[in-house]
Amino acid sequence: MNRTTRTIIKIFLIAAVTVGCIALAYYLGSNIAGHKLATASDNMNYSRWLEKYFALTRAAGLANGLCALIWFMAARFFLEVDEAAGAGKRIFWAALLMASLAVSLGVAHFYAPILGIKINGIIFGLFAVIFTGVGYWLLTIFTTPLAFKYTPLGAHFFGRRL
Amino acid sequence: MSYYFISIGGTGAKVMESLTHICIAGLLPENERLYIAAIDPDVGNGNLERTSTALNNFAAFQNFSVGNDTPLFKNKISIARPFPWNPTGHDKNLDDLIEFYHHNNTPVGKLYEILYTKKERDTTLNEGFRGHPSIGAAVLAKKFDDGSKLTAQIEKIIGEGENVKIFLAGSVFGGTGAAGLPTIARLLKNNLADYADRISIGGALILPYFSFTPTNIKDELFARSENFLPNTKAALKYYSEKENLFDATYFIGDSVMTPVGEFSVGSANQRNEAHIVELYAALAAADFYSRPLHAPKIFKYICRHEHDKFSWSDIPVSSERFVQFARFIFAYVQLIKPVLIDLVAGDAKAYKYPWFVDFLKGVDIGAPDVVNFNFYAEAFAAWLKQLETLNGREVFLINPAMFEANPARLVDKKLFAALDGTKSKLTFHEIFYRLTEPFKFDSTIKGFGKFLRRLYDACAI
Repeated sequence: MNRTTRTIIKIFLIAAVTVGCIALAYYLGSNIAGHKLATASDNMNYSRWLEKYFALTRAAGLANGLCALIWFMAARFFLEVDEAAGAGKRIFWAALLMASLAVSLGVAHFYAPILGIKINGIIFGLFAVIFTGVGYWLLTIFTTPLAFKYTPLGAHFFGRRL
Repeated sequence: MSYYFISIGGTGAKVMESLTHICIAGLLPENERLYIAAIDPDVGNGNLERTSTALNNFAAFQNFSVGNDTPLFKNKISIARPFPWNPTGHDKNLDDLIEFYHHNNTPVGKLYEILYTKKERDTTLNEGFRGHPSIGAAVLAKKFDDGSKLTAQIEKIIGEGENVKIFLAGSVFGGTGAAGLPTIARLLKNNLADYADRISIGGALILPYFSFTPTNIKDELFARSENFLPNTKAALKYYSEKENLFDATYFIGDSVMTPVGEFSVGSANQRNEAHIVELYAALAAADFYSRPLHAPKIFKYICRHEHDKFSWSDIPVSSERFVQFARFIFAYVQLIKPVLIDLVAGDAKAYKYPWFVDFLKGVDIGAPDVVNFNFYAEAFAAWLKQLETLNGREVFLINPAMFEANPARLVDKKLFAALDGTKSKLTFHEIFYRLTEPFKFDSTIKGFGKFLRRLYDACAI
């Protein structure tokens, strides 16, 4: 497989996993805590809450996907290793991990009141695990360009990849 | 088929150094074994010492499992012992070696006393024949059969069913080479006369290409560069008038005599920088080995296109393989070696270097073979740098700007992509990236050799 094909596949994978994470967060959130939270919210019924909650998961998911995409694009096209000291870039990856976590929790914290829905700790937990855990950490393990393939924490536990 | 290379004297040793490098780079034809022999009375001379180091490194590299389908390290070598063969022994003069005391006051002894001056007879020969081929010819003829064991070794190889191509290299203007080239060629031809159809002998006769100014030498017997041209004239006359003993003869010289840095009669201080003439002589050996065993004698001329400049168009070999090897060495020194050193010292994290995790985890990177390769990589770069420092004349095989810093450590890393002056996309980052891409080798390729093979392949355009 040549490098261009690999790049296209990885970008597609980032997009697909991002969409998958949004769907998973929406499905799990709506089923685990949806009914309870819908009744707790003002002027809200379950279907209206779902509508707003989907907007919330979509915003958090896309922002996370953007973090994963930024890491991929930077590592693929902008970070160059022309000497031994230039390799790794884990601080950059970790900064994006923190950004991803901030986005996951921040969107839930700030955007939910704007949308007028209530959320609880389960939703925060779901967002952190699904978006940051799966949508950034796990995704970057499998999509990081090869020159930095062991940079994501724990990447060496996974076998050979594209 | 087996190849034999016999270096004679200091210049021969320097040709051997170039041959070792081009052999490691995979520039010799076929995958035949190369036997290396050296004849030098000055066993401690610095040139020979440097060459021996490169040779011993090469011998160690043969343990690397790089596979058989690569030019890298493809020719196996054997060092013919004794290495080097010292025809004079220790603290002996000509009288001792000729056993003059047996011939004192005999007609032969009196003739000998006429042919050799008192100084020539009395000077100890620890540092070679000191530019006096007449001394060397007598000693070599007397000692070759018993001392060198070369004939027996070649006979053994022929006995195993192999044909042998023997190549001799030495200067015609100094002492050991001028004496040894015709003498050794004749002795080998005579000794191996029964196998005439199984052997071929070639020779690189190196014409003057350097000069020196003696300092602090009082009334001592040593080679003088003002004698180089008359010596050469006499030698060439000999080769044109007498039977040419070589099946292929290569005359290689330079129109400019490059001054050597510091004069030394011999010994460890005789450590001259590499010169492009020696590279030509090594390529002559490669050309000889590539010819059929009994090819008709031919006369080929090669000269450079521009008076004060050498470039790849002047070299009788494709640049591609050599440049790939140079790129491999530079990439190793720049990108790999510092990491290995830091990892051994615990100053680096392995995750940063996917090639280390993929290839070298579990490999002992402090092992002598790996350390030898580190030294060799620096030595190759240093040799290349010397080759391109030709007394003001421009040599452009590898971009000279590459050598601004210490061997192979680049100040301007962008230069790497245009190593031979031709722009390419092969940056250090590209090499680093290629090292991490999936690949398939057969299972015999393993260990540090597998990594070197991968790096070498990654350095191809």
